[in-house]
Parts: sequence; C-alpha cells; structure tokens
Amino acid sequence: MTKVCVIGIGFTNFNPITPDMEWKDIMYEACQKAYVDAGVDPRRDIDSFITCAEDYWEGFSIFDEFVPDQVGALLRPCCTVCGDGIYGLGNAAMQIQTGLMDVVSIEAHSKVSDLLTYGDVVLHAMDPIYDRPVSGPVERPNYAGLPSYPEENPKPLVGSSDETDRVHPYFLAGLEMQHFLKTTGTTEEECAEVAVKNKKNAFLNPYAAYEAKISADHVMKSEYCFKPLKRMDISPNVDGAVCFVLANENIAKDLGIEPIYLEGFGWSSETPWLSTRGMEAEYARKSAEMAYKMADIVQPTKEIDLAEIDDRFTYKELQHLEALGLARKGEAKTLLKEGVTEIEGDLPINPSGGSLGVGNCLEATGLQKSLEIIMQLRGHAGKRQVPDAEVGLAQAWRGLPSGSGAVAIFRRG
Amino acid sequence: MTFLEKQTDPTAPLHWRGNMQADYLYPNGVAGDKFFKHIMQNDSFLATKCDECGKVLFPPRLYCEDCFIEIPEENWMEVPAEGTVRLFTVAKLNAHGKKLPEPKIMAMIDIDKTDGALLGVIKSNDSERDFTGARVRANLRPKDAREGTLKDIVNWNLI
Repeated sequence: MTKVCVIGIGFTNFNPITPDMEWKDIMYEACQKAYVDAGVDPRRDIDSFITCAEDYWEGFSIFDEFVPDQVGALLRPCCTVCGDGIYGLGNAAMQIQTGLMDVVSIEAHSKVSDLLTYGDVVLHAMDPIYDRPVSGPVERPNYAGLPSYPEENPKPLVGSSDETDRVHPYFLAGLEMQHFLKTTGTTEEECAEVAVKNKKNAFLNPYAAYEAKISADHVMKSEYCFKPLKRMDISPNVDGAVCFVLANENIAKDLGIEPIYLEGFGWSSETPWLSTRGMEAEYARKSAEMAYKMADIVQPTKEIDLAEIDDRFTYKELQHLEALGLARKGEAKTLLKEGVTEIEGDLPINPSGGSLGVGNCLEATGLQKSLEIIMQLRGHAGKRQVPDAEVGLAQAWRGLPSGSGAVAIFRRG
Repeated sequence: MTFLEKQTDPTAPLHWRGNMQADYLYPNGVAGDKFFKHIMQNDSFLATKCDECGKVLFPPRLYCEDCFIEIPEENWMEVPAEGTVRLFTVAKLNAHGKKLPEPKIMAMIDIDKTDGALLGVIKSNDSERDFTGARVRANLRPKDAREGTLKDIVNWNLI
C-alpha cells in the first residue's frame, strides 16, 4: 500500500486570547508556515485540502464555505471534517492511498476566545431530551443587546430566565473522575501530579501558554469545581492553529525530505447515550487497536518511544494511558509516580505540556499533539527532546460530552 | 513571520459582537414520546428489553444500540422511578464559569430493574456527604403541571 509521509508542519503560537487576529489570520499563518516548511506552493502542488472544524465552535453555519481562501484552496478540492485534527490526518492519508491525491493539506484551529458562551455551546452537545435539561434553565442569554425572543413571544420555550443557575457541563468530568478514582484506586493527589508534570514540560515548549512551576499541593488547594475535579485539574482554553502537509512517499523523496511516516491511524465512537455508555474510554482503546494493527505494533509499551495523549482533565491522561494499552488497568499512577512518563523516563507522555500546559485547543488538540510527535521525531524539540525517538503516538478525544476519539502513529523513516 | 507587521496596540483591534438566533424544537422521538407521555400520567418510568442481549434499556429505545435489532411492542415494561446513585459530583460553577448561587449535587443514577441510568440533581443541602450507593426516588411535578419533558423530574429525593 502507498506509504504516507508528513512533509510539512506549521503552527501559530498558542495564546489565551488573540484579539488582534481573526480565525482566518491564524489559519493562514499556520498553513503558510507548513507550506514553506514542506517547500510546496499550495496553488500548484497541493491536490486536496481538509479543515477540521465544528460550526458551533466557529460561530458559522456551514463553516466549510469560509475555508478555501486562507488555506490556499480556492477552486480546489476542499472539505471539512467535523471532528478532531487526527480524523483529518486519517482522511488525508486515505485520499493519498487511493492514488487520487499526492499531496494533502490538513488544518485545525481554535479561536475559542471569540466564543462568549463556551459552557453553553458544550451544553448544546448534550442530548436535548434526556441530559441537557438536568443542567438547569435554558434561556439563552442576550449578549448583543438584541431581543433574544420575538416580541409576540418574549418567554423562552422552556425553563426560567435565571441563567446563573445553569450548571456548567464540566460536571460530567466530575462524575467520570469519581468513576476513574474508584475503579483504579487512584487518588486525587496522583491526578494532581499530571498537572505538575505537564505544566513543567510546558516550560520547555516555547509555544505553550500555560507553563507553571507548581506542586501537587497547589492543585489540591485549588477550588473544587465539580468535586473531585478541581480548577487546576482542568485544561484552560487556548487559541491556536496547526497545519500538516501529508504526501505520497515518492513526493517526499522527490522533495528530498527525510520522511516521517504516518504508519497507522484509527478512530472510534461510543454511544451518545450517557445512560448506558461506560466510562472506560473505550473509544481510545478501539482507535488504538485499529492504529496498532495498521502500524504492525504488537507490544505498544516496548515499541512506542513517546506519546502525546489527551489530558483535557488530569485524570484523562491516566485513563487514556490505560485505555491505549500503555499501562495496565490501575497502573498509570505508578508509571507517573516512578517517573516513567517524564521526558527523561522510559515512556515520556505529553512532553509538549499537553493540553494542561499548552491549553485546550478544541478540534486542533489532535494536531497539536501530532505536531509535538513530528518535532520530536525530527529531533527539533529543543530542551524537551526525547533522545532517539523513532515511534510516537498522538491521541485525542473529542471532549465532553463525547465518547469519540482518534489515534495516529508516526515513525521516523 | 507570515505577517510583515503585527498589531502592537491593544486598543486598536475592532470586532463585531454577534449572537446566534438558534432556537430549536427537539421532538422527543417515537420512544421518547411514549416514555414522557407515561410520566405525565404515572409516577413510574418505562424501559424496553432487548431480546438478543437481554439488556433492559433505559431510557427506553426502539432498537438496541449493541445488537441493532428492533424491540417488539411487548418488551416495553414499567419500572419504578427509583434508583441508586452510582456517581455524584458537587457542582459549584454555572455555565459561564461563575459560582452557582448554591452548589448542586449532580448524580448518575442507576434506575432500578434496568441496565440504564439517568443524570439527576439530588435534593440535599449536605454537599460534604458521600452519596455513592444512596437510594433515591424521582421527585416528580404534580401531575397537572407535568409537560412531558425531563423537567417533570424536579430533582431526586433520598429515600
């Protein structure tokens, strides 16, 4: 089968707010950098363009329509994958493997600071009949000074007008964290150590926004938001954009680029019914199984040199570590404690700082994680360089309240 | 540098402040309609049983998501509006990330005689207590005030 390589990467800095730029600007910046990195002209050399975006995050209906100009895709094959950036990598790889396309651009971004009602948009991802109403009154707040409802029907369809009573949807993470602690014998302090490690790693990453020198005690003393989940267990949101250029192996050779192969990828979705869905991150286990099979990986703990895995909440790093087969059930905390997952350990996890250190960049999370793997495999990771890294895994979850996610495995050629 | 010059004056950037007029009417669906119409007239719930895997699905479904087979009419069953708290969390923040006037105890409640669960708010002022395993009963609105939505379950009372 055609082998697929990463031939270019580009990214913006990751910032908590970006009021000087619009979403098109950060997309343009990341794409332009990736095209320069790959040495390709998008108007001539790139056959297909994929953006990974979700209308609601962007504030547009049919966001696809707003994509071509700033990624260099005008009047070219261009589509949007409504999901994390790793789904985009998988789709791009398949386009290349059909033989129809040789070079494909994949972009994902977050301009979450533009979104004034983040909690409400996440609430809108919950089932409107069985789950969402539990959060409380559902009247939409009125931000633009415009009437929210027509004069003839000034009342909201459901609920009262007291918006301050509506519970933030992250309460679901509080429930899941409790499940994780109980079923694995992990403690809150052990989860806190994930934030300590990742925010420490972020010091070594120039584009990270949330580096910090903290102890587990700081995390433990941060307020309970959704007990047992504390404020510092939560990845803060961030803006940023990432672009990848993937190509048929032969193109990489023609360009004289040392190939880094996208060896395997996988994706999986659990039921949206919270009433019957498990809390074991089956989506991660299944997507990893698919990716391992494709990449001929039999013993992940021995064959994978480093991994960037979803840590939108501290416990998620440990939960995902186990689901991906990189730790036995209940043993992720031991690996963390023994320093195995530190940059200098046997299996570095989130050397970039992860979402806790870089920030939660929504659908760009998987590409941010893949970006770190590529920089590591190229040997361009500076002070956070993992020595002799040859095989790296990137994994992303689609965030609350989803039970979906994807995995990508890269190998240095 | 992709841009030759970047904005360095924080007061200069302008923006358009928009909002989305996005109101929806979400139908309860065929199974949901039956479920909520039952709650409007009864103090109990309905569930459906899958013949293939034997799971009692709650909230009731027309088809089993595991087996992808239809559930026959005779497999609908009445179950008590009671359950056991599997997981709980004390929520302190509202949707805007600000403090709620009062903490809310949000729970995942395993519904009796089913393999399903429901999210709910536990009626209690004791936010220090461990509610795991607590027995709870749905506190339903008075029958004449029920509207056939999840709001008919005001919260959950400890039994």
